[in-house]
Amino acid sequence: MTAADPDTALPLDPAIAATRELAPPGPWRRFGRGLRNFVRRSPLSAFWGVVAAAIIIVAVAAPVLAPYEPLKSDFRHMTKPPAAPHYFGTDQIGRDTLSRVIYGSRASLTVAIGAVLFGTTLGALWGLASGYFGGRFDIVSQRLIEFLQSFPDLILAMAIAMALGAGFGTVIVAIAITRIPFGGRVIRAVVLSLKEMSYVEAARGLGASHLRMMARHILPQCIAPYLILATTHLGVAIIIEASLGFLGVGIPPPTPTWGNMLADSLNAGLVPPWWLVLFPGCAITVTVLAFSLLGDGIRDLVDPRLRGAVSVRGGKAAAL
Amino acid sequence: MYGYILRRLVFGGLTVLGVSIVVFAVLRVLPGDPLVAIFGPEGFTKLSEAERARYMADLGLSDPLIVQYLHWMGDILRGDLGRSFFRAESVADMLSRRGPLTAEIALIAVVLSWIVGIPVAIVSALKPNSLGDNVSRFFSILFLAIPGFWFGMLIVLACLFWFGYRAPMGGASLWADPWANLQIVIGPAVVLGLGQAAYIARMARSSLLEVIREDYVRTARAKGLPGRLVISIHALPNALLPVVTLSGILMGFVLAGSIPVERAFATPGLGFAMYIAVYERDVFVMQNLVFLYSIVFVMLNILIDVTIAWLDPRIRYR
Repeated sequence: MTAADPDTALPLDPAIAATRELAPPGPWRRFGRGLRNFVRRSPLSAFWGVVAAAIIIVAVAAPVLAPYEPLKSDFRHMTKPPAAPHYFGTDQIGRDTLSRVIYGSRASLTVAIGAVLFGTTLGALWGLASGYFGGRFDIVSQRLIEFLQSFPDLILAMAIAMALGAGFGTVIVAIAITRIPFGGRVIRAVVLSLKEMSYVEAARGLGASHLRMMARHILPQCIAPYLILATTHLGVAIIIEASLGFLGVGIPPPTPTWGNMLADSLNAGLVPPWWLVLFPGCAITVTVLAFSLLGDGIRDLVDPRLRGAVSVRGGKAAAL
Repeated sequence: MYGYILRRLVFGGLTVLGVSIVVFAVLRVLPGDPLVAIFGPEGFTKLSEAERARYMADLGLSDPLIVQYLHWMGDILRGDLGRSFFRAESVADMLSRRGPLTAEIALIAVVLSWIVGIPVAIVSALKPNSLGDNVSRFFSILFLAIPGFWFGMLIVLACLFWFGYRAPMGGASLWADPWANLQIVIGPAVVLGLGQAAYIARMARSSLLEVIREDYVRTARAKGLPGRLVISIHALPNALLPVVTLSGILMGFVLAGSIPVERAFATPGLGFAMYIAVYERDVFVMQNLVFLYSIVFVMLNILIDVTIAWLDPRIRYR
């Protein structure tokens, strides 16, 4: 069969060959099959998945794709509307808006992915432990999470970002903290139902340690809800990041971010030029739309039961 | 019922206490020197050690943290909400002047979100996967993705371009000049209201879809009740319970969302004051405003919880 087989020289017994066909496919094959299934079952979500992937590629390849330097001023072309060399126009000091929008995707995605990676993951692990151990630890954790949710998330992020001073790291931390409760709640609910499964009970009966139980038997089942949660929260994190940038507590200029570009446009005079407002905002909307709809699509595919549990933009329904 | 209200109030009180500690910790304990914020990094380096110590003492920042915290709590309890570093205006003045505008915005936004969201949800849920359902779902997803402040900027621009219109710049109270007041308030309220309506429509749709499948709704249909009555008398009241809770949670997002949205419209409300405080790194104003916002949010949620418990007796006994 393949070169790796030691017995390729010998003609294979058809019965044995048949059993090989039945052997479970490798992880890549399974992934490929899942992907095909996803595209067939929900082409619209697959489309938005492609858009999300394209946005990530744009962010990574920004230096190649951007026609101009995002920070370089061209004083012959200041506040010019969209026209031939500058397709998205230029800002008040002659920087190319298209290049800045392209570079802006880097800041947005770095912050969003960082915040979700830290915040949602920390929350998810917390929820895992709290659901698994139950008892007093669970009660205290639940109260703490409820308490974290008693701040509107933008206000909490604003206060933290302001206190820590502007910068990439602080914005990520500020947004990550607001993501913790959502991860905690959703994963805890999943763990609570998993804990009652008989296979978990069987593992406990065999004398598995707590760590082994959580890592080997419960964690793998939490990956799907975690992925859904993480994807939808990327969208929320991008909106919060843009709002922080707009309010002047995000990543400070000159680094272009969609939020601080919008804030800049208001400084361009009493009437902001329309192209400085339109394009960064469209970038935010399309990105958020792509990640939310991708998350929705994965959710419908992986686990229709979660429909109510993880809603678009931050599982707010999960807080009910 | 009274026991339930009492329990919620006690828990709310504890939450507010915790909130005060967190707000204090975030704005005072985290690294970041308030003098740098006041004088700017350049001005800060020009100050001598003695001057720095004097300013810190003046501002009460050289006391132990516990003492600072107790001072702050004492001030709040006496109704003294502090004042800005940079402006003569105290936070209390700010509240009385700007607060009503933001409150109006929030109120109109909530009412609007119900007026828009619920009918859309009913149309959606009665004929799932129909054209109307798909259109309304598309719009609700779109409005979840559009940042409110950007939508606001677009509205301002469109009004300027096409009608040469701009909302009055100065503040106007509801009683003195209702027309000017309405023009100031309506923009942010519509933006925030539509943003919320998207959540409400989604939630109400899924909740209504669940309720419609219940036996008692089928019974109502079977006994020959006209469809409209089945929905409005039997299905809606139960379907709307989670929507009421969601509305309470969304109030917090209206309060928070009004900060960038008021900036986009240049509305002279409390959200704009918050933006200025952030922009100027005005720690004391920020501390008090964040605390106030959080208290309002906690109280609103208690109010919602009690309303829900009153509407749905099952919850009281949980």
